[in-house]
Amino acid sequence: MRVEVSNLKKYFGSTRAVDDVSFSFASGQVVGFVGPNGAGKTTTMRILATLDEPTAGQAFIDGVSVVEEPELARNLIGYVPDSLPTHRDISVHEYLDFFARAYGLKGAKRTQTVDSIEEFTNLSGIRDKMLVALSKGMKQRVTLARALLHDPPVLIMDEPAAGLDPRARIELRELLRALSGQGKAILISSHILTELAEICHGAVIIEHGKILMAGGIADLLSDSVPRRTVLIRVLGRQEELHRDLSQMPNIEAARFNGEEIAAEVSGTDDACAELLAALVARGYRVVEFKQQRANLEEIFMNITKGVVQ
Amino acid sequence: MTAEAELRNSTQPKPGFAERFDDWLNPIVVKELRQAVQSRFVITALLVLLAIQIIAVAIYLMTTADISFSYDAGRTVFMILFGIMLAVSMLFVPLYSGVRLAAERSETNLDLLFITTIKPRSIIFGKMLAAVVLTVMIFSACLPFLTFTYFLRGIDLPSMAVVLAIGFVSVTLSAQAMIFLACLPVGRAFKFMLGVFGFILMVIGYVSTMATAGGMLWEGVGSRIAGMDFWQWVGIIAMNYGFQIGLLLALSIALIKPVSANRALPVRLYLTAIWVIGGIAALSGSWVEATHDPMIYWQASFNIVFAVSIFTAVSERDWPGASVLRALPESFGKRLLRFFFTSGSANALAWTVVMMVATYGVCWIWWRLFPNISSLGELVGSTRWLTVMNLYLFCYALTAAFLRRHVLKQIITKWTWVIGLMLVAIGSIVPFLIGLLVYMNDSDWWQEDFGVWLVGSPFVWNVVAHRNLYLIVGSFWAVLAIAFNLQWFIERAKGFAPIENAVEQMSQDHE
Repeated sequence: MRVEVSNLKKYFGSTRAVDDVSFSFASGQVVGFVGPNGAGKTTTMRILATLDEPTAGQAFIDGVSVVEEPELARNLIGYVPDSLPTHRDISVHEYLDFFARAYGLKGAKRTQTVDSIEEFTNLSGIRDKMLVALSKGMKQRVTLARALLHDPPVLIMDEPAAGLDPRARIELRELLRALSGQGKAILISSHILTELAEICHGAVIIEHGKILMAGGIADLLSDSVPRRTVLIRVLGRQEELHRDLSQMPNIEAARFNGEEIAAEVSGTDDACAELLAALVARGYRVVEFKQQRANLEEIFMNITKGVVQ
Repeated sequence: MTAEAELRNSTQPKPGFAERFDDWLNPIVVKELRQAVQSRFVITALLVLLAIQIIAVAIYLMTTADISFSYDAGRTVFMILFGIMLAVSMLFVPLYSGVRLAAERSETNLDLLFITTIKPRSIIFGKMLAAVVLTVMIFSACLPFLTFTYFLRGIDLPSMAVVLAIGFVSVTLSAQAMIFLACLPVGRAFKFMLGVFGFILMVIGYVSTMATAGGMLWEGVGSRIAGMDFWQWVGIIAMNYGFQIGLLLALSIALIKPVSANRALPVRLYLTAIWVIGGIAALSGSWVEATHDPMIYWQASFNIVFAVSIFTAVSERDWPGASVLRALPESFGKRLLRFFFTSGSANALAWTVVMMVATYGVCWIWWRLFPNISSLGELVGSTRWLTVMNLYLFCYALTAAFLRRHVLKQIITKWTWVIGLMLVAIGSIVPFLIGLLVYMNDSDWWQEDFGVWLVGSPFVWNVVAHRNLYLIVGSFWAVLAIAFNLQWFIERAKGFAPIENAVEQMSQDHE
């Protein structure tokens, strides 16, 4: 099962909301869709969810075109929009039962499906509560439950963590991990990048309708940050090490803050390993040698300019 | 089927009638009714209605002296109760259905339904059915009070049944009208204006329903029920009701369909079917009654529909969606037929022109075949009047479409009708104002020549003296408008082909 977006374009008059966007991901992968407000994330997701039509380009889910065969593609997609359900005078169970009916589930199968989804999303205890009386976190769970009713292999989630408290965010993260473990392909947009990095296998960074970077998280980290920062602490001889480092190959800069030394190493992991070996060879008693990894937030800030259309 | 699956199926209990009925129900109806019975608003409205009815009956009985000798007490009380019930129903049911749908449409709730397997027509039918059930609920709650009036004398059971049926028709029609207004994809300010417009329509509907119901009650239905006239009247009302409900349903379905879908299909299919059925009914009526009157109503109604259709046609999307093109048949004949029933500006124009020409053609053949039956002059006059009006509107619409594509490029296609209407206003008023300024003091101008200066108006056919001029100008303009839009139309017609060719054509356009 593979989701492939190919040269997708969406113009609103002269505004190019999505401009030649291409990326792909597969079953079991969680892909973060990252970009500033107005970057084209929601438009792309709505096209994938068959709610909007692209001006040009294609998107396939398991070989089914969302542009040419939207009815067929809808069976493969679970869509979680960036808004929460607002239906009045309806309980959680009735809401899910309604959507199960809308997906064509009948009789005992419908009852079983709704019950099992309620259990999976931990909604069984509040199934008779009115929807409007729920907290944001609970409503988000209901939205996720609704998107899972027809057991889609692909989930498209637009800002599912927006406005959630830390507990609700952690619960959502766990649910996503479980869903990924079940083999679902998940495309998720969020502004909470630290959390995204923890659950995502890959990320697509978009700005001004164009893709700036796409790939596995590890690749993105190495590609976007050409040098690494290594924190070094040795027993004694700290100042001597500080002086030595500036003479060593692959070291661009070194800063000593009184406790540890932060060395900027150019190159790959090999350069870091060589540095550690050199330090040991020179007789330094290394007690801490830690590569400070760049995070998704840093990458995002490095490569986006905050341009809004 | 595998042996294991067969075994599993055979061990599962067969669903009972209740379960099968539950599965068969429209999900929207189930949801709407669940919401309605749990809604404080609905319960309060019902209780208030019942309370008002009890109070009204009590006040009437207490204030009317010597009730036992009043032979129209039942009729009067029935009218009071019916008036209260109708006012509450016509206000409450359409508002409840319309406002709920408008709120759902403005958020993502409808989007979420579109990505289920539910069809847009099920959504609209479900909303409508839920409104009907609510109306039945309100009418049932009031029925004991209404039945009580029978014992007060002065009213017969057929009259009560007919008046209730008229009330039911009015409420459901208002509800469907509000559902249609709620489906319009417009902003909040415009939606509010539409709400006010809808409210005014409902007030007019209420007043006319009460007037009709009063007339029926005072004349009494029981004595007329055996006559043919009464059933003819019922037939006309039922046909009108069916036509209006059907049109509103088709329009609402088209409005909530996803943009990628063939939105035009339900509307054009419905109008074509009604054109045929209505035409057959009008021809039969005209032949049986020996008068052209039914044909006049038929052609006038449809020419007005086509006048609106011309402007919506030029405002439709330029190309059908890829999913629509993908479903096109390979056969040229089938594709040609499909062309007229597919979303797209060129398709809509083609359908409208064919229908307009066909309407004129049917009328022309009919008055040639039966020149001696009554109202011939009226049929010929009204058909020509409206056809020339539509010829002018066609010219204005095509000119607007051409201007939008080549001059006013920043205006998006869906607003072409606004340019068209502005051109109609300019064309109707400006030449006349120029003439007025030039010949203001010339009394002969008012007597003889001012009609020349109305040449830009689509509604000018009744100025008999200059009809030839209007016809020449209209025809010449139509030829020019067609010539200027011909290349665009041919490209769309060629592009109306299986997906590969069409996509190539469309991408060239976007570049």
